[in-house]
Amino acid sequence: MNRGPFIFIGLFIILALSWAYTLDRPQAESGKLSPIGSSSERMPRETVGLAAKGKEVYQEMGCIACHTQQVRFESGSDIARGWGERQSVARDYIDQNPVLLGHNRIGSDLTNVGLRYEEADVLHQLFYNPRISSSKSNMPSYSFLYEERKIIGQASDNALVLPDEYAPEEGMEIVPTSKANALVAYMLSLKADYDLVEAPSLKKVDLK
Amino acid sequence: MNLISNICSTLCPQLEDGEEARQTERAIDASLRFPTLGLIKGAAVWLVIALAFGIVSFIKLVSPDFMGDSATFTYGKVVPAFWNALVYGFAFNGGLACATWTIGRLTGKATGLNITLVIGIIAWNFSVLFGLGGIFWGDQTPFSLLEFPPYAAYMLLASFALIGFWALKTFNKRIFRSTFAAQWHLVAAVFAFIWILSVAIIMLYCAPVQGVFQGLVAAWYSSNLLGLVLFPMTFAALYYFIPKVFGTPIVGYRYSGIAFWTWMLFTAFSGPAALVNGPVPFWVSSIGVLATFGLLMPTTTLSIQFLSSLLGNFSNIWKTIAGRFLLIGALSFTLYSLLSIYASWRMTNEVIQFSLFDSGLMILGLLGFVGMTLIGGMYYILPRIVNKSLPSNIIDLQFWAQSFGLILMVGSLLYGGYQQGALLNGSSDSSLVTILTVSQSFLFVTILGAVFYLFGAVAFMVSYIWVTLSSRSETEKSAELVKASSDLEYSAS
Repeated sequence: MNRGPFIFIGLFIILALSWAYTLDRPQAESGKLSPIGSSSERMPRETVGLAAKGKEVYQEMGCIACHTQQVRFESGSDIARGWGERQSVARDYIDQNPVLLGHNRIGSDLTNVGLRYEEADVLHQLFYNPRISSSKSNMPSYSFLYEERKIIGQASDNALVLPDEYAPEEGMEIVPTSKANALVAYMLSLKADYDLVEAPSLKKVDLK
Repeated sequence: MNLISNICSTLCPQLEDGEEARQTERAIDASLRFPTLGLIKGAAVWLVIALAFGIVSFIKLVSPDFMGDSATFTYGKVVPAFWNALVYGFAFNGGLACATWTIGRLTGKATGLNITLVIGIIAWNFSVLFGLGGIFWGDQTPFSLLEFPPYAAYMLLASFALIGFWALKTFNKRIFRSTFAAQWHLVAAVFAFIWILSVAIIMLYCAPVQGVFQGLVAAWYSSNLLGLVLFPMTFAALYYFIPKVFGTPIVGYRYSGIAFWTWMLFTAFSGPAALVNGPVPFWVSSIGVLATFGLLMPTTTLSIQFLSSLLGNFSNIWKTIAGRFLLIGALSFTLYSLLSIYASWRMTNEVIQFSLFDSGLMILGLLGFVGMTLIGGMYYILPRIVNKSLPSNIIDLQFWAQSFGLILMVGSLLYGGYQQGALLNGSSDSSLVTILTVSQSFLFVTILGAVFYLFGAVAFMVSYIWVTLSSRSETEKSAELVKASSDLEYSAS
């Protein structure tokens, strides 16, 4: 039997149906969401300025190889681990282009990392050498985002505060580069601390 | 000087005439010699490169300060480099080596100079190089198995279009109008790759869809890249090479049609299963899970076909070089397919989601099923296109090193990944550092396995170099070195 054209037509139909039902239809259903509220009340929060630069650094360094940005409710222990108070929903991601969902959790989920860390210093120390705060951590060091330089005159305000065994030599200081500052700003901006109708936080559900 | 004349003799062998029956076969082999040799070389080189990245990435998981000062080789860049070099470098070169040669042979006549094919292959390998460069340069995208920067994705599409054009044109010139199962799978793979990569490029780069739906497109792409492109190329290799190697038809060949269509149908819908419990509409991921379960049907048929055909010739498997690789490949397929169906089951998924179990499955699929089968296919092709015998000692070493490495890697990642997932997704009692301590013991085994597999890959490269550079012996000057193979694909269909 000559199956040539038959294969093309059959495969064309299969791929067209697969595209229509698994990509186009869900997108038509809820792929045109808009933010709720504006300026400081806006949900989701906008990633702008330095934080937007930081998102590029996050993507460039491939942080997604170990970190997700999605809190699950139906399964897993995401909420018990304190990674979020509610499930992540489509509206949380409307500003993300490209989207940074992630598919591997060698490290923690970062949806709400900005709520877990409030100070830039702690994050800078973490990126400079993760072993300082947790000796067994296998997170890579991003020391190449920091610059070791001679103190000329007065020490920089931005210099990292490090424990003695990690501190640089006398007369030297370690300062973050602009990429490190951007990445930290991005981390601090990651917080889904607002309630959406489609996914109320567990606290709210309990009150009812 | 000697080496140069050996290379010339490899590329344009001057043989004493053999049997009349092999004239056509030899004419086809001669017309495809240059592109196929290039593809086999590409597969060997990329496999070594990919495994080197893989080993670095596994070592970094255990000892994060290994090459820790390098911004270029940070973990987040080495991991996508590993998977992309493995898929677009090794698997595509190997798959296309088997595909072009099989299409050429099944067309039944020589195809001339094949300029489009040669340009396409060179452009493809440069695109992969650009893509990897882009990842290390800092341009990677967060889409799994498409981490290459957009410009590399456009280049891949353009160069594959040239290769695909050649494949379809050659397929259309066939002298027998009836077709063999290997041809359906190859034609489907070519068509599907152009389709899915175009959709991914349009929906991710040209007119990006909103937020989380990009994740859906990426999941659809990566699942179809394996299921509709690489796996069909590998099925084609099994369908074509098993009868050729053993001289017996595929057992239950008449069920190939139903296996082909059900495989294509269910695979095309199984992509969203990766996003279960994620922020996408619930029903989409459910379609994915349902379709994955549908794969049980073609998996059963294909496994019975391949394994019965191979096991029926079990006593001959160890006498052939290609046969044993095909056996490991077919066994890996059955295991891979059953495990991925098991993994998409909701209760299992709740345990293993986001763990290293996924990497174990991918390794089983890419290094086990695709890798071993295609290497078997390439070892069937190589002596035929250059009319030289293979260095069987080196290949013995390669086979055992790769099989042993595969078992270690897959076993440790599947078992360890399951343990890791159970702790990660179970109660919140165990901290991430505790989970890490558990996973590090099995990662040592993974590294050991990867080193074994790399050793096998180096042996693959050595035997390729040996075949191309060794001087032609007296027996290799005769066209009778290779026996004529029976045209089983037509009598069996």
